[in-house]
Order: sequence, then C-alpha cells, then structure tokens
Amino acid sequence: MTAESLTMPRRLTPVPAAPEPAVSNTRLAIVIVITAETMLFTGLIGMYLVFRLSAPEWPPPDLPRLPATVAALNTLVLFASLVPLTRALTAVRRGDVAGRRGVHLAAALGTIFLAVQGAEWVRLLRHGLTPGSSNYGGAFYLLIGCHAMHVLVAVLWLATVAVLTERGYFSARRYAGFEMSTIYWYFVCGLWGFLFPLVYLY
Amino acid sequence: MRPAASRLLLVLAALLASALLLPGHVLAQGCAMCGTAFNHDDPVARAFNWSVLFLIAMPYTVFALAAGWLFLAHRRRSGRRRADVIVLRRTQAADGPEESPP
Repeated sequence: MTAESLTMPRRLTPVPAAPEPAVSNTRLAIVIVITAETMLFTGLIGMYLVFRLSAPEWPPPDLPRLPATVAALNTLVLFASLVPLTRALTAVRRGDVAGRRGVHLAAALGTIFLAVQGAEWVRLLRHGLTPGSSNYGGAFYLLIGCHAMHVLVAVLWLATVAVLTERGYFSARRYAGFEMSTIYWYFVCGLWGFLFPLVYLY
Repeated sequence: MRPAASRLLLVLAALLASALLLPGHVLAQGCAMCGTAFNHDDPVARAFNWSVLFLIAMPYTVFALAAGWLFLAHRRRSGRRRADVIVLRRTQAADGPEESPP
C-alpha cells in the first residue's frame, strides 16, 4: 500500500456557506439599546405625569411659560434631518458614493437643534426657571435635558460617521455602523415627537 | 404518580386553600398608600393612577414591538430562502437532468 493511496480524496464540492441570520447582531444590539433607553424615558415620563396631573395649576403662575413656538420650529429642524439621513443610508446600501453626504447635513441640523435648545435654556434660567425653582422646573430640565444628552451623543455619532464616510469607510457590503447611527437618530427624533407635545403643548 | 409530583400538588393545594381562607376585601385593597392616603377624587391619586397605567403599559408595548419585528424578520428571511430554492430548481431544470455518476 503506497502513501498516495492512503491520502484522503480531494473534496470537489464547495463547503456551503453558513446561513446568514435573519437579524444581524448589530441590529439586535441597537434594538436592545433602544429598548433600555425607552424604559429609562418611561420612568422619567411617569415622573412628569405625576407632577403634571397632580398640580392644581401648570405651569405655576410665578414661573415663565415654555417657548412653544421656538420649540415647534426646532422640532421641524430635527425632523427635517431625517430626510437627508434616510437618503444617505439608501445611497450607502446601493453603493452610491455621491448620495452619502446627507449624513453631514443631518449632523448639522442636529447641532442647530441643540444650539437653539441651549439658547432657550439660558433664557429660561435668566427668567427664573431653574431646576430647583419648583417641580415644574425640575421635571422640565430632567426630562428635556436627558433627551438633549441623547441628541448630543447621536450628533457626535453622526459626525463620526460623516468623517468615516469621507474616508470611504462604508460600502454596499459594509454599512452596519452607518445603519446603527441612523436607527439611533430615528429613535431620538421619535422620542422628541412624543416629548414635545407632552411637555410644551399639554 | 411520582412522589415528587404528588408532593408538589399537595403544596399547591395547601397554598390555594390558604389563599381562599383570606378575607376578600384584603385582596382587593391594593397599595396601602394609594388606597388609604388619598381621597377618591384627589388629583394626586388620579395622577398616580395615570402614571402607573403608563408605566405598566410601556414594557408590554416595547416587548410586543420588538417581538413583532423579530417575528417579521424571521418570516421574511424564511420566505427569501424558499424563493432561492425555487429559483435554483428552475435553473437546474433548465440546465437539464444531472448526469448520474458511473
């Protein structure tokens, strides 16, 4: 018996590729993060509802009213950022290089939202609405401030994605980071769509 | 019946019997703070009621949304796999029958 006859025959059929999961790990991770964030905001909104519904007069008569008009315009700015970002994600998935710049615009609009909100906060603080002034001020700054922190994180994430896009990091086969930042931005905008009418209009 | 299973049944029956012996109004009283500290028309009690309802509803809503999304993703995925198999069979049929090994 020769050594050649003992060797295993060469495998001619290709090894089948492992089946792709229905939900990728990155998508599952961002869903878990968003679920946890939703529960955090559920607790804060529950706190706000207790103060809001138990107060005989809301807002208290000696404290300034919230700037609903400016906040409404700011809401439009925030929601407008969804359009270029969605187009940019579609362009990345298709492998279209030119259409990816929407993420820059979305990050810029998010920065404008934060800047306007910061300016309004400074104005409110000067008019006497501080976190320690009443339950009204405390609940407002805690709830809206927590959302603003999330917007800040999302804007920083979008800015990072914009830099990586400029360097050609994303492609039609590799766009998980881009998609995750977009989903997180959707969450931040959707949350504001709930918080704005609750805090500013109700 | 095995002795472990009969013991478990006995414990459950004892728990059920002890629960039935408790007065009914104690079971229906609920939280001591909400039940006794506030009046019926107290706005604070109303605020707590709405807040508790919201806090109860949200986990179920979030869980249902996430589970529904996962279910749809799996269904879409299995439908895509079936479509791939049909395309492969049609391609094989168009190429002709496979040659049998000698």
